[in-house]
Amino acid sequence: MSLLAPSYLRDILKRCSSSETLRSNKQLFHSIEADLITLLLLLSVRLCASPPGKPVLIGCRSPEKETFTCWWEPGFNGGLPTRHRLFYEKEGSEEVHECPDYWSAGKNSCFFGKEQTSIWVEYSLTVVAFNALGNTSSDLFKIDDVMKIVKPYTPENVTVLVNDTANTPYLCVSWNHPPKVDTKSGWTTIKYELRVQKEDNKPEIFHPNKKNSFKVYNVDPGATYTVDMRCQLDQSSWSEWSTASVVKIPNYFQNEKPFWILVSIFSVIPLLATICIVVLKRKFVKQWLLPPVPGPKIRGVDVQLLKSGRAEDVINALIGNQNFPPAAAWMDQTEEYLLVSDSNDWLLTDPYISQKKKSLVIPAGVQLEIQCRTSAPAQSDCENAEVGKDGKVEPDHLAQTKESVLNVAAPSVSSGSKEAASGNAAGPTGYVDIQQHKGTQGAGPNAAQWDYSWVKEVNGETIFILKNEDAAAGLDVPGWEENTAADYSRVKEVNGDDVVLLQKHDSADSSCKKKEDRSAEWTNQKAKSRHGSDCGKGACLQIAGNGYVDSVPRFYVE
Amino acid sequence: MQAKMEQGKRKGKVAKQKETKTDQRLRKETEMAQSRTSGGKLFMAVVYMLATCRAVPINDLLNRASERSDEMYSLSTGLTKDLASHMSPLSWPAMERPALCHTSVLPTPNDKEQTLQVSESALMSLVRSLLQAWAEPLVILSNHASTLPHPARINISNKIQNLQDYSKRLGDGLDILSGKMGPEAQVVSILPYHGGTDLGHDRNSKLQKFNFLLSCFRRDSHKIDSFLKVLRCRAAKMQPELC
Repeated sequence: MSLLAPSYLRDILKRCSSSETLRSNKQLFHSIEADLITLLLLLSVRLCASPPGKPVLIGCRSPEKETFTCWWEPGFNGGLPTRHRLFYEKEGSEEVHECPDYWSAGKNSCFFGKEQTSIWVEYSLTVVAFNALGNTSSDLFKIDDVMKIVKPYTPENVTVLVNDTANTPYLCVSWNHPPKVDTKSGWTTIKYELRVQKEDNKPEIFHPNKKNSFKVYNVDPGATYTVDMRCQLDQSSWSEWSTASVVKIPNYFQNEKPFWILVSIFSVIPLLATICIVVLKRKFVKQWLLPPVPGPKIRGVDVQLLKSGRAEDVINALIGNQNFPPAAAWMDQTEEYLLVSDSNDWLLTDPYISQKKKSLVIPAGVQLEIQCRTSAPAQSDCENAEVGKDGKVEPDHLAQTKESVLNVAAPSVSSGSKEAASGNAAGPTGYVDIQQHKGTQGAGPNAAQWDYSWVKEVNGETIFILKNEDAAAGLDVPGWEENTAADYSRVKEVNGDDVVLLQKHDSADSSCKKKEDRSAEWTNQKAKSRHGSDCGKGACLQIAGNGYVDSVPRFYVE
Repeated sequence: MQAKMEQGKRKGKVAKQKETKTDQRLRKETEMAQSRTSGGKLFMAVVYMLATCRAVPINDLLNRASERSDEMYSLSTGLTKDLASHMSPLSWPAMERPALCHTSVLPTPNDKEQTLQVSESALMSLVRSLLQAWAEPLVILSNHASTLPHPARINISNKIQNLQDYSKRLGDGLDILSGKMGPEAQVVSILPYHGGTDLGHDRNSKLQKFNFLLSCFRRDSHKIDSFLKVLRCRAAKMQPELC
């Protein structure tokens, strides 16, 4: 008896249905046959047919917007041959249709052809599994719109060529449209996406506008590139990536070798030519490149004479042609010395020599000559003060006679005469500078001309300048007397700390009233002079610390 | 004397004749000149009109219209994705279509063969009707977009405003285009929207209705796009790259 005989199976089924039978069977057969029966029973349980399991619809896909295919997964078949059938409903119609084609797309699939496919229409699908015992239907599968399940195939024949004939190499990618898609009627619009990856870098995505070809320009020579493509229909899902093509760009410089050889040859020849020219025509080139700088030329001076080098000739040539002002010789003579006459009670209470005017207290009888350092004749500001008997410097005693001057003998006086060019011929600087040495007069050829003047007499407010006939050079300074008369003025009254009233002079520029503060700085004498006094040209008076009004040179320090 | 008089008369006659001849010639010449000038003016006017009022060829117009509709369709697709993105499938109401779209009453071709059999004017009429049918619902959508209980509502609101803009521009272009096609293209079917101005009261119903409207719009915009592209390909026989 075959195990699969229908009667036997029916028996088994009956037994399967009731558990009591099983137990009684067990009890009955305790022999080896029991084992066999058990085995048979087990087998029978296995062969228990049941209605089929529930199939599951996996998904659907339309590759070209004209047809679509759906797949399902069958459930447990229940031990019996099962048959699956797919039913669908279209939107707007109650009619139930069955799948037209179960075989074209393979097993467990349903292919909807062009006649059955409608775009923009909702489909409701179910798969029913049938077997001898019954049927089971799957859950309802809804396709909202066939457009939502459109997914094209990959583009075909994707080929990549390296084009390096030009200076810049590029990749030329060409492809065909995916299979089965209609490109003639405008029913579908295909968009392509191209992916280029250089070795292991991040891939670059391109969207070609053309249908069949695309050029990729930014490629590096010697690198390896992987290119693949995919496409899309009308904003649908993207297809899979095509099979990748791998290309290697040949190295650029190897191709360019002969070019560079030619370039180097053609650049070497002119270089050699220029070197030869430069070497052969050294002098000319040197002259052209570095033209000689013309030497200095002095008018009237013969260069050859200078070159011969004789000193006298040189000096004559240089100096004889020029007329230097005589003052130049005096410019170097800057020596400062103090001449003090030899007399009693000589006391220098406050001697200081500076370039500026400072007050000086000299005991009586002392003739003090201060010769300040001078850099130029005009800049001298020396002061002469004669100390009176009381220790005050009084203008009365300022006058120094020739003899008193001659009495003065300062050991420190150098032979070289130095005239403090305090007063000069230039104008009334307000200085009366007594020449101390006769001998020193003639040191400079023109020195004594403007440096000194003899004071004849000081009479009260006025100082009379002595015209020195003996002076070698003559100290004729016209107009000197008038100006020097303004140098000193008598203090009339001291008013408190800062006011000194001077006695008015007849001369033009004598009376200047100033504030005086011994410790304070000098006020602006120019400003004072504007008040009406005639301290125009600088022959203003400056009050010394002890009430003596000194004349001030043209410039002063505040 | 008489002979002289006669001679004089003859001369006068001859002179007169000459005069008349010259007159005539002058007149003719002036007439010719006038006609020439007037003809020239007319010619110039015609040329000027042609130059300034140069008509854009239909191919160009269809191309532009297709580009607009493509933009509109991609925008609506993105919009439906945005709407579905932030919602989990559980909280998202099932993608049930509660009713048919209000444009379902309009019979349109549903596959390639049917579409290729429809005439151009009829296709144009369908496209215009569909576009016109969405003018009002888009307004409703944009009104409710800013208050939609959805995290991406600002983005959605902006996109819907863009959609309105595209729709308007495309409608204007199609009006011009249909003027160059047959009389059938001028027929625009009215498809009224009866869904009311309100989206619903509770959150779920609001979202559901919004989603439903958007999916209908997406579908219709794709129809418009497909039909226009078919028209473009048909009109551009000399330019296969447009198909």
